[in-house]
Amino acid sequence: MSHELERLRDAALTEVAAAADEQALEAARVRYLGRAGSISAWAERMKSLSKDEKPVVGKLLNEARTAVTAAITTAVEDLRAAKEARELVNIDISLPGTAGEIGTLHPLTQMLDRGISIFRRMGFALAEGPDVETEWHCFDALNTAPDHPARNEQDTFYLPDGRLLRTHTSTVQIRTMEKAPPPIRVIAPGAAYRRDEVDATHSAQFHQIEGLYVDEKVSIGDLKGTLEFFLHELFGADTQVRFRPHYFPFTEPSFEIDVKSKALKGGEKWLEMCGCGMVHPAVFEQVNSARGDDAYDPKKWSGFAFGLGMDRLAMILFGIPDLRYFAANDLRFLKQFAS
Amino acid sequence: MKFSVNWLREFVELPKSVDDLAELLTLAGTEIESIGKRGANFDNVVVAQIKASAQHPNADRLSVCQVDDGSGQERQIVCGAKNYKIGDKVPLALPGAVLVGDLRIKPSKLRGVESQGMLCSPSELGLSEDSDGLLILSPEAKIGEPIASLFPEDTILDVEITPNRGDLLSHFGLAREISAIVGQPLRLPNRTTAGGAPALQEKGISISAPNACPFYSARRIENIKVGPSPDWWRARLESVGLRSINNIVDITNFVMLELGQPLHAFDADKLTGGINVRLASASEKFLALDGKTYSLGEQDLVIADAARAVGIAGVMGGEDTGVTESTKTLLLESAFFDPASIRRTARRLNLPSDASYRFERRVDPGTVLAASNRAAELMREIAGANPAAEITAAGTLPAAPPDVSLRYEHCDAVIGVPVGKERIEKILRGFGLEKKGQGNGAENSWRIPSHRFDLQRDVDLIEEVVRVFGIANVPGRDRSRFTPESDADRGHDLESSLRARLAGRGLAEVRTSKLISRKATEFEGAIELRNPLNEDHVALRRSFYPSFLDVLARNVLGGARRVAIFEVGRVFIPPDGREERHLGILLWGNSAPSAHWRSDNRTLDYFDLKGVIESIIPSASLKRVERPGLTLAVEIWRNDQRIGFAGQVVSERTRMIDANYPVLFAEVNIESVAQLGSEQNFREIEKFPAVTRDIAMIVPEDLSHGKILATIVGANEPLLASAELFDVFSGKQEQNFGAGKKSMAYALTYRDKTRTLTNEEITVVHAKIRERLQRELGVELRE
Repeated sequence: MSHELERLRDAALTEVAAAADEQALEAARVRYLGRAGSISAWAERMKSLSKDEKPVVGKLLNEARTAVTAAITTAVEDLRAAKEARELVNIDISLPGTAGEIGTLHPLTQMLDRGISIFRRMGFALAEGPDVETEWHCFDALNTAPDHPARNEQDTFYLPDGRLLRTHTSTVQIRTMEKAPPPIRVIAPGAAYRRDEVDATHSAQFHQIEGLYVDEKVSIGDLKGTLEFFLHELFGADTQVRFRPHYFPFTEPSFEIDVKSKALKGGEKWLEMCGCGMVHPAVFEQVNSARGDDAYDPKKWSGFAFGLGMDRLAMILFGIPDLRYFAANDLRFLKQFAS
Repeated sequence: MKFSVNWLREFVELPKSVDDLAELLTLAGTEIESIGKRGANFDNVVVAQIKASAQHPNADRLSVCQVDDGSGQERQIVCGAKNYKIGDKVPLALPGAVLVGDLRIKPSKLRGVESQGMLCSPSELGLSEDSDGLLILSPEAKIGEPIASLFPEDTILDVEITPNRGDLLSHFGLAREISAIVGQPLRLPNRTTAGGAPALQEKGISISAPNACPFYSARRIENIKVGPSPDWWRARLESVGLRSINNIVDITNFVMLELGQPLHAFDADKLTGGINVRLASASEKFLALDGKTYSLGEQDLVIADAARAVGIAGVMGGEDTGVTESTKTLLLESAFFDPASIRRTARRLNLPSDASYRFERRVDPGTVLAASNRAAELMREIAGANPAAEITAAGTLPAAPPDVSLRYEHCDAVIGVPVGKERIEKILRGFGLEKKGQGNGAENSWRIPSHRFDLQRDVDLIEEVVRVFGIANVPGRDRSRFTPESDADRGHDLESSLRARLAGRGLAEVRTSKLISRKATEFEGAIELRNPLNEDHVALRRSFYPSFLDVLARNVLGGARRVAIFEVGRVFIPPDGREERHLGILLWGNSAPSAHWRSDNRTLDYFDLKGVIESIIPSASLKRVERPGLTLAVEIWRNDQRIGFAGQVVSERTRMIDANYPVLFAEVNIESVAQLGSEQNFREIEKFPAVTRDIAMIVPEDLSHGKILATIVGANEPLLASAELFDVFSGKQEQNFGAGKKSMAYALTYRDKTRTLTNEEITVVHAKIRERLQRELGVELRE
């Protein structure tokens, strides 16, 4: 008896395996598993079996039913998958992907963001000040009296009311200290202006990140550590950084920083990156007189300040040969910087 | 300023290699910008004299010269120059010489005439750019002498001198700096004054403007013979960028380059009466050495005689009192002028000169008379002149700079590493500072030398210490500190997120200049600059609009088919230039970036612009307005506040752009967007299924979506979760609903938070909304 059931199961599986389409499978399903199907018929015959036979045949019956059902399900899936595959077999996978415009951020924005994010990791907050400034904030407060050789009105744009376009972002040093007492640890990204004929390396408007740190016992060592870290983060750990004494009216001592890095175009040369120095006590004194207090007592507080030229940095990092690309905003240029 | 290394070597022992010297100076704060070679170190080039010259038989432009090369035999040379006369001494390149540009000289025939060498121009010997004619040597040059001995090899340093270091604007000054840095002794310049220092006396000079001119001196020098300078002198002056004029002017320039004190020589016979240093009268006219007439003002300091101004003090001498070939007697001026006064005049007249450059940066009061003496001695030696026994002077030289006190501990604290008292004192002494008294061991007062007026307070001395100590020897330190977020931080982050969102939507960020052109100001009243440099930068932008049209035009010209740009930045609102942060957007062209095999390309329009605006300000509402320059204009409102405008630009405005598509522009003040704050609040996610039913209707063309939506929402059905417009099309004659009508279709979604809705109750609610539309708006519902 059990032998018969096994033969029936094998016949069903053979038929399923041979079925060419879903119709043939359905026919097989009806024939064997349908209400009147030959496997289903065995359920009826169970009733007439002895107590001893029932469990044995029942088990066989279940196995046969499960095996045939599974075979049909698998066969249906295979047939459908094969049909789908036939439909896609002629797809040209080399056709261009569906179009979608990718937007871009201006390379200067990307450069500023890179700089800002490094300084933020170092614990600097952002600060800002206006582009249109007073002469006092731009020059006098920064220890550059009217007859100072470094104060060049020729290079400064003036408004009819006597105000000017800031010639450096160092004005934000003053703005920040006017508002808040020490300690101070800020950076100020922003535009500055120079009355200059435009060429490959000069523009009327340029961009800087200004930095100011004021605290007790701040030293040249702190200035050096901060800017070395920044430049190593930006250009890579194997970048050489050189501090060179220089002159700015509002810092003393003052330095310019040069870097040399294999990662950069012209990596064999020292490239000038940054002006910096220890905040001049005369700047603190000017701020105190504007505040009307002694919050920035040069005997108690010291600090450092720096200014990074971001246009130049972007030119160096991205290998851009001409400053005028930045303001031209040619999409063929901008799209080269889609990240 | 250019420096001759040979010249510097006269005053101090230099490092062997010029590169080492350059590195040393650069790291001590005096940057060497370039290093150049000078001199004519050529073999087989000698001094020759032209004995005869005749026209070349076969060439108009050439002549055939007979020259004496010192060998005893005359030599025939074919020559193309015209600037010589018989008897002139010139450089002769003999066969075998190799000149600049690897030019090899050999005997040759030029147009059939034999030439035994070449007569040389300055450029062929690398002495200057001058290639116009032969280098005419001085009559004293010895025939047959190698040219290398007249123009010895030298290295020229181009040095950037910072404005606080006027004391470095001379060879002696830079040598003094080098001596302090390397610790080598300084050799003083030659001061062999015959008969000792001349006495000072006051007669014939008066100073009416003592603030602008604290001290003035003049020395009479008689019996001078004006003529060319010796060749080595000329070479030295020219090597550092000065043109040789004549022996007298050259001597004054030489002393300026050597000691840093500008001098001026007047032709004494052309002066009337004594010298008076005074301020000019208003609109006083002055004919200067450069042949131009300047109109002076009451701020300008002049040197005058009894009749007229004879010099703009410290800036330029007068044409008719200058030294000429016939000058016999000189008045040699050496003075100390107020730096600010000279600077104002030089700037105002736009007349920078080597003299004003130094006076502006303050000359060394201690050198004023020494320079006068040095020049007088040189005139005696070189021009055979007789300097007067005394110098006439008026006024007083400025006092030495005040003493500066330095606390050693403070010095170490600023530098960040202990340098130590002993080292600090050694460095300061190297710069010529003198310790006053013994101090208390912790602090000392220092006497500052007269040439270092820039050393005014302790930090200035600390800088000198750092320069010599070497900042490379200061280890970098880390002083981290926690810093709270500022308003500027929040503003920056908002701008960054706006930029990221717009770039994510396929827009390219631009950065246009905040300074706009004259042409661009026609669009709008913008604050103009008082002193623009050119027509490209005349005013401060008050909107992105004109610059964006420029960017569009440029890109269309470049072949772009789609321009979708934005900028976030400051604009300046007249009349006071209040600075606002704005966002500008411009869309133009195809919706798809380029031709694509499956794109449904269309032209960007108002709804694309609106979509971009809504993506950054979801709660924006738009109101239609009239606005000049826009065919379709809307105002952007948020919370009862107008924050910007948008629209389609009148095509007349964009005609110059070859743009056949509509130009869409929007500008929003993002200061108010910044106040958006957190509109982010948690809301429970719906647990029960929603059911969607559609309503399609035919409505008059002028019935707006806004009104239909308001009517649907106005039903206030609590089960209605949302209503979305999914289809709009306008009727045409041939369609059954006809012209003047449009078909609109909405998907209405119903949901309850607490249970699954039944079909029956949805049908009831949906029918109510349909009826409301019919009743309120008279729409024709479609099945």
